Amino acid sequence: MALCLSLSVLFAFLPIIATFAENETISNQQVLQIRNNCNSVENTLNQLHSSDALLRVNMGQMYESTLTKMMDRFNGRAESSGFVIADLSEISSKYGLALDNFRSDYKIYEEQLSLAISIDCSKQPTVFYDAVALARIERKQVYADVLKLNDHINQYQLALNQFGEFYQSNQKGNITE
Amino acid sequence: MNETDELTFRYRYRFLLMIISTIIIAIVLVSISISMYYKSGAAQLDLSRPGYKSVRSQVTNDETGSFSATGNIDQSVINEFKDLYYSQAKKIKEANAFSGDPLDPVSLWETVE
Repeated sequence: MALCLSLSVLFAFLPIIATFAENETISNQQVLQIRNNCNSVENTLNQLHSSDALLRVNMGQMYESTLTKMMDRFNGRAESSGFVIADLSEISSKYGLALDNFRSDYKIYEEQLSLAISIDCSKQPTVFYDAVALARIERKQVYADVLKLNDHINQYQLALNQFGEFYQSNQKGNITE
Repeated sequence: MNETDELTFRYRYRFLLMIISTIIIAIVLVSISISMYYKSGAAQLDLSRPGYKSVRSQVTNDETGSFSATGNIDQSVINEFKDLYYSQAKKIKEANAFSGDPLDPVSLWETVE
């Protein structure tokens, strides 16, 4: 009982301990560097914030239109023409889920970066460091989502080739018959 | 305060009460819409916000060729779709969005002097 209690207390305080451990990794020299370069770092973060927002808008449009203007339409036409397109449908639904993840992960990243930008790095360098470190993790997650989307795009391309080959061989069969 | 007094109070201040209740309703509705704006992720796509002025003009219109949603499938349609899809896939993969590590402490503040 006592062991369970102490374990649950330990787990409850684990994130706090981890935060302190993270803070301890910042050396005095790094704190000094953050304070000294505070303005330029803030400018860099603001620029990154804007350029990533632009990237999100432009790439988001492309990802969206790939699904709605291409995959969904082709799948619909193939299905209504009586073809079995289980592979293509499965890949496009996975792509749709990956796109949802991309949207939500970008939102988390943008909120975290905005939070980091709102912190005064000259007054709270350690808090600022942690906020930027978290934003960095979230940005990596966004990139992982992009890679997943690219992977689904490749898979769909392969399935499309297979569909084309299947159609061609079927046509030849019909002609020879 | 009896019932007649209360009616008189309402009657006397009815215009003021109407304005106050209108303001309260407006505040509630605006709060709901602002929270929806942020929670839905629309805020992240809204480049008309302050701070995005420099990049606003760089938004590209979606020039993805449209594939018709109706019609039969034949070899020429498959080829047409393949061309469309390949060029879109190429553009997306070449962009390699969100690659790199601009928030790396080394590149962010240890090299800035």
